[in-house]
Amino acid sequence: MSATAVHAGGIADHIHPEPQGFVRRYIFSIDHKIIGIQYLITGFVFLILAGMLAEVIRTQLLHANGGFVSPDVYNEVYSMHGSAMVWLVIIPLITGGFGNVIMPLQIGARDVAFPWLNMISFWIFPVAGLMLFSSFLIGAPVAGWTEYPPMSLQAGPGTSMWAAAIFLIGVSSTLTGINFVVTMFQMRAPGMTWTRMPLFCWAQLATAPLLMIATTALAAALAALFIERQFGVPFYDPTKGGSPVMWQHMFWFYSHPAVYIMVLPAFGMISEIIPTFARKPIFGYKLIAFSSMAIALAGFMVWAHHMFTSGLAPYLQLPFMIITFIIAIPTGVKIFSWTATLWGGKIHFTTSMLFAVGFVALFTLGGITGIFLAAVPFDLHVHGTYFVVAHFHYVLVGGSLMGVFAGTYFYFPKMSGRLMNETLGKWHFWLFFIGFNGTFLPQHWLGMLGMPRRVPEYDPQFQFWNDFSSISSYVMTFSILLFFINVLWSLRNGKKSGPNPWGGRTLDWQIPSPPHYYNFKNIPTVYGLPYDFGQPLPYKGLEEELTDSPVHVGAHY
Amino acid sequence: MAVASLPHGSSAGHDGVDQLYADTRALRLQGMLLFLVSDCILFSSFIFAYLYMRNSGQGWPPAGISRLDVAFASVNSVVLFGSGATMHYALENWKHNNFGRYALFMLATIVLGIGFLSGQAYEYTNLIFKEHVTWAGSGIFGASFFTLTGMHGFHVSVGVLYLIILFLQSVHGVYTKDKYFGLTAGTLYWHFVDVIWVVLFSIFYLI
Repeated sequence: MSATAVHAGGIADHIHPEPQGFVRRYIFSIDHKIIGIQYLITGFVFLILAGMLAEVIRTQLLHANGGFVSPDVYNEVYSMHGSAMVWLVIIPLITGGFGNVIMPLQIGARDVAFPWLNMISFWIFPVAGLMLFSSFLIGAPVAGWTEYPPMSLQAGPGTSMWAAAIFLIGVSSTLTGINFVVTMFQMRAPGMTWTRMPLFCWAQLATAPLLMIATTALAAALAALFIERQFGVPFYDPTKGGSPVMWQHMFWFYSHPAVYIMVLPAFGMISEIIPTFARKPIFGYKLIAFSSMAIALAGFMVWAHHMFTSGLAPYLQLPFMIITFIIAIPTGVKIFSWTATLWGGKIHFTTSMLFAVGFVALFTLGGITGIFLAAVPFDLHVHGTYFVVAHFHYVLVGGSLMGVFAGTYFYFPKMSGRLMNETLGKWHFWLFFIGFNGTFLPQHWLGMLGMPRRVPEYDPQFQFWNDFSSISSYVMTFSILLFFINVLWSLRNGKKSGPNPWGGRTLDWQIPSPPHYYNFKNIPTVYGLPYDFGQPLPYKGLEEELTDSPVHVGAHY
Repeated sequence: MAVASLPHGSSAGHDGVDQLYADTRALRLQGMLLFLVSDCILFSSFIFAYLYMRNSGQGWPPAGISRLDVAFASVNSVVLFGSGATMHYALENWKHNNFGRYALFMLATIVLGIGFLSGQAYEYTNLIFKEHVTWAGSGIFGASFFTLTGMHGFHVSVGVLYLIILFLQSVHGVYTKDKYFGLTAGTLYWHFVDVIWVVLFSIFYLI
């Protein structure tokens, strides 16, 4: 097959009639941009809910004796906080949300490969989210977001609800993954070879197989947990011949790749934002693209590094430790490439760029503690302490969530046609950055001193840094409130952005903001990389995009 | 690209169909293959769990449970593999515009699929009522055997329904000599179910 993925007279020349009516346009829409925005809105609503749970945790830990909620409720709160943040916030925002809005625009397609499937993927997600939160009514899961048996087998009926909800989210993710892979394989604009594809798309291309493969493995583990809880079929109960460690294997075979599902698309957005605001070609395009694939591949081979204290055979510990170290290499390649892109650039510190640079700094810190934790002797010391909590919040909040904010400020004009307020945005960034570090930096030394995670009360010697952490978390929450105020304010009052407020060079910036439902009047032809700032644009066939010329609508099929 | 070498994958516009159909078919073929890959991972996870438990040092088969009946399962397997062959010939005859033989082979596939399911039902009945091996009451043996073969049986049942729908569609002229992607997808799914059975037969009956 030639590099051009589309042919004359095929789907690229085919424009459906415009959908009519509010329901078809905005509720059960099959337009990838609307679906992406639906994902973003739903994900941000769940961010508020899961963030409130986080504040319950931090308020409880203000005092060494707890007292804000009962220990039982505390177990439910941190379990639901983790589950919701992973499955209802970060993954949907970063794959279904930004992936849907931006990826088809960047490859010059009219929509994803299977628009109806896309709509179904989305609508599973809020239903599953409501199921997950409604498990509070019947006794929410209490064994943390990892739900290790035998605790998860003994807990109340909410755990079965949890398993069913996460299973549904998994179905949604799998369908999205299939959709994205086929879209990127088959629907790129003529001339867009693999090595001319924007880096955000490369990141989605690395993520999609993880969504397809890892999520299905989790589905099996969840199905077995559900069956065991509801029908007493022994998979994990050691008294009936099952094995609780098997759950850990199956769970982490998904959940380690899942951390790359949560961060690779953020890498992609950072790779778009940094060259745009440094006004420089990205350094090491191919290295960044291929390192995403390397991370995705290696991510499947390291799951047991979560299980060094679970009785893993010693001869297995060494290979898992070494492969985990190896993942630092492609990640380091990205960090150095971004730094080299900034070097000597004409940097514009917009809010989006601040978040992108903050991402690089905080993700590097989280990555370095990841290397610590991969080392077996160190991990045996800090496993199950606040050091682990600090580590994964640095990569998931300092990494993924910062990436979501950077992407929101960057792509908000493309989605709405208006810019977000920069003054509020800068307050958001600085309060978030200070609040975030104040919350999670002290948790490193709390963990080193031996404070275990998931406890409602603790030794009074840890009181000071816990108070410091809790008060900083209020600052961080306040900054996120500013973000939501900014979004709502800017939707009505933001400055009109025009098609290309940041001077971006990828295809998404060459069409009106917000784009027409068919994206492109004519599918352009691509002649080069999108990052050569200072050169003419490498596209042909875009002349009519910003004019009022009519578009030919084909027959429905 | 990998899909280009598959039958009727991306040879867009060279086999008498319009470009829109060729493009859509290429998308759907790849989507179908990826769906089968993810489905395969679902089976693989349970197979991993079974092998992990089997090798965890409690001896196999566990005390009080006799080995499964290889002879009967072999006959039943031949029935399923035979249906894979008839499915292949059904699609080939469709491509060569030979509707009579297509219908014959398609119906044979459906009958063989139902035959396999009946065999499995007979085997389940024997296990549960004669040997008292049950899903929930026989440790990891019952759990993994009934879950995996049950999942496979569910896939076969869905496949039989799918083939019946495809057959009715083809009788009503939904497909033409050139435009028959639904039949290709059905064939792929049916072969996938066959291949899964090869693995399940090996790990439950042979080793």
